[in-house]
Amino acid sequence: MRVFLELPPTLHRASTGSLPALRLAPWHGAAILLIILATPLYGYAAGGPAPSSALAVLVRWTPLLLRGFGLNILISFMSMAIGTLLGAGLGIALISERIALRATAWSITQFFRNAPWLILLFFMMYLLPYSLHLGGLTLALPDWLKAVIGLALPVMANIAEILRGAVQSIPPSQWEAAESLGFTRSQQLWLIIIPQGFRRMIPPWMNLYAILTTSTTLASIVGVNEVVTLAGQVLGAEGGGPDLLAPLYGYVLLLFFIYTYPISWATRWLERRNAS
Amino acid sequence: MGNIAAWFSHLNDTTGINFTIFYDPFDGSRFLNGFWLTLELSAISIIGSLLVGIAGAFAQGATFAPLRWMVAAYIQLFRNTPPLVQIFFFYFGVSAFLPSVKNSLGMSQPLVGGLAWACISLSLFAGAFNIEIFRSGMEAIPAATIEAAESLGFTRAKTYIHVVLPLALRVCLPALTNNLVNLVKTTTLAYAVAVPELLYVSNQIWSDSDNVPEMMLVLFIIYMVLVGFLVFAMHRWERWLRVPGLGT
Amino acid sequence: MIRRTLAVLGLAASLALTATAARADELADIKAKGVIVIGIKADYPPFGFLSPSGDNIGIEPDLGRDLAQRLGVKAQFVVVVGSNRIQFLNQGKIDIIIATMSDTPEREKIIDIVHPDYYASGFNLMLAKTVNVTSWAQLKGQPICGIQSSYYNKEVAEKYGAEIVAFTGTAEALAALRQGRCNGFLYDDTAIEGKISTPEWAGYGMPLASQDDKPWGVGIKQGEPGFDAFLSKTIIDWDKTGLIIALEKKYGAKPSVFAAAAHKQYQ
Repeated sequence: MRVFLELPPTLHRASTGSLPALRLAPWHGAAILLIILATPLYGYAAGGPAPSSALAVLVRWTPLLLRGFGLNILISFMSMAIGTLLGAGLGIALISERIALRATAWSITQFFRNAPWLILLFFMMYLLPYSLHLGGLTLALPDWLKAVIGLALPVMANIAEILRGAVQSIPPSQWEAAESLGFTRSQQLWLIIIPQGFRRMIPPWMNLYAILTTSTTLASIVGVNEVVTLAGQVLGAEGGGPDLLAPLYGYVLLLFFIYTYPISWATRWLERRNAS
Repeated sequence: MGNIAAWFSHLNDTTGINFTIFYDPFDGSRFLNGFWLTLELSAISIIGSLLVGIAGAFAQGATFAPLRWMVAAYIQLFRNTPPLVQIFFFYFGVSAFLPSVKNSLGMSQPLVGGLAWACISLSLFAGAFNIEIFRSGMEAIPAATIEAAESLGFTRAKTYIHVVLPLALRVCLPALTNNLVNLVKTTTLAYAVAVPELLYVSNQIWSDSDNVPEMMLVLFIIYMVLVGFLVFAMHRWERWLRVPGLGT
Repeated sequence: MIRRTLAVLGLAASLALTATAARADELADIKAKGVIVIGIKADYPPFGFLSPSGDNIGIEPDLGRDLAQRLGVKAQFVVVVGSNRIQFLNQGKIDIIIATMSDTPEREKIIDIVHPDYYASGFNLMLAKTVNVTSWAQLKGQPICGIQSSYYNKEVAEKYGAEIVAFTGTAEALAALRQGRCNGFLYDDTAIEGKISTPEWAGYGMPLASQDDKPWGVGIKQGEPGFDAFLSKTIIDWDKTGLIIALEKKYGAKPSVFAAAAHKQYQ
């Protein structure tokens, strides 16, 4: 039976309802790196080739892998940009006063939010043509651009939801005050409501970007030459030994971690700043 | 049943709209098996991720600091890396260090198969998000409630099971629904490690019969229904759990 | 504002995709253009692969160069894979497919496959030397690694009851084979021969008999009788002069029964 004593706040923390905030110091990242690289070392200790061989292979292929990773980042930028633009439009339609527009926007949002991203990618790969003819212009659609479009669609649906959620979180009194001052509906939306909701949209928007970046690896399944496909080719070029698999995929995990962790850290920092 | 098959066969002959899964027994049977496997994969991963979430959220409040750091590191690692590469890491990388058994043909086989690795990887991936979700639910519980439980003599574990978890669950259910829907969608990644779930068998079918749009349509409909059913079930559960006065 | 956006959307929709103009005479068009765009593989030695300097080499690119020479035009190569070669052809990105494409009735419905077929390669299973499998029937219920969308996956699964474990790329399939997740690797027999001759795969062999599958055909768009006739004559000439057999020797491919029989037939 525990007797409840009045403890100073710092010691109190672990036993009350408020839990410690997630704080990761840089040395935690180093620890993760160590764990990733230690798994192959364990295997070597069990009697395999020297540990330097896997690391040497990784270092040798780093320029190629980084180029592949660059394509992932490019895909994520373009998908996010296109998805944000389309999503903003879809979000405005979601909160529209006209029922027909709202219903259409709702069905589009539900469809793209509930469809698995990989299936949407396959869909775009197979059904988009290889070049678009607009009047007299011919626009070539390479594989990665189709992946950009395929990923932009769920992003669009999620951003529409983020926008709708942010607008709905603005108290109705703001709408009423604006209306009583004589603003039209679209003026209310653009001049008063959305600027207020903007700050609330940023953390989920950044969170979505982090998810999108990790989802760009799906493009490897449909044949785009990004970092996961290149990792497979490196594997093939190096003879496909089983002792290379864990370090290679661990290395790709590390690349994504180094890129995405700062984004999620910044998201949490912004959330905490908004909440205060 | 024969009528449906005949109608789809007729549809293919006249219009070229080819739904082989309805009239070809081989395609039909493997599509159905793929569907059951998707359900199995989703169910196991959902349960696994919930267990990971509950255990992890408990471990986050531990007094033993290294345990808290390990949980924090695990969450950051699994949230900020691609689930596809995680599955590859487990399926190819980790399994290379596990012992293997020899089968009747003299071939050594790994101990853990593709389906098992996919379930493990997906449970860990969604579990990391679940820990965060449960934590946000737990933060919404007033400290006074916890202190009251402590003053009544509950240990930390008993407080967690009888007081914290039920209340936190009710608060975080919308976010949890969202995460579980994402998990069901993410099960399509098992395609990459040759688990014969829906997308994998659909790919095989459309490669053989060249009917991509038809299979896409069927896939979209099935996933809409699956997700819709999951959301419906979670909403019913939310309503059943509703406690007057708690939440908005 | 809504009306304005709708107008913009309508304008964009009206500028949308137009179908490529139907070509009445492909042969004349190619000669006029001075270049023939050929779809070939780049990941399938010895039929279509890349030299270290990045050139397209292999049996099929060489056949394509010979064809271009006969037409008096330049040969331009576009790399294709199984999933996009027919679409490239129908959308006009390439003029002709010479890319290990099997002649199947389903494909005949969408494009025109020139007869006679120019080659046939078998498919086979790459197995570890420690595995004792002597007939295809022993594979019933056993897992076999393969590549997604290979046309022989269904045949092997249906005929022999094997469980095909298909991956997106050869790298993953071979990694799975090494880990023992499957008993063998189902692939083109000439490609497997190339693999087992490398030192990394010295512990693997190809003990089973190759399965004769559907022969390969050259593909062109439908509705081009003049082009079809020209290509048919060219292929017969390839068989007659033994060009295909010579290319097999040049790239170290196993001399195929099909090519030898065709050479004898058209003597």
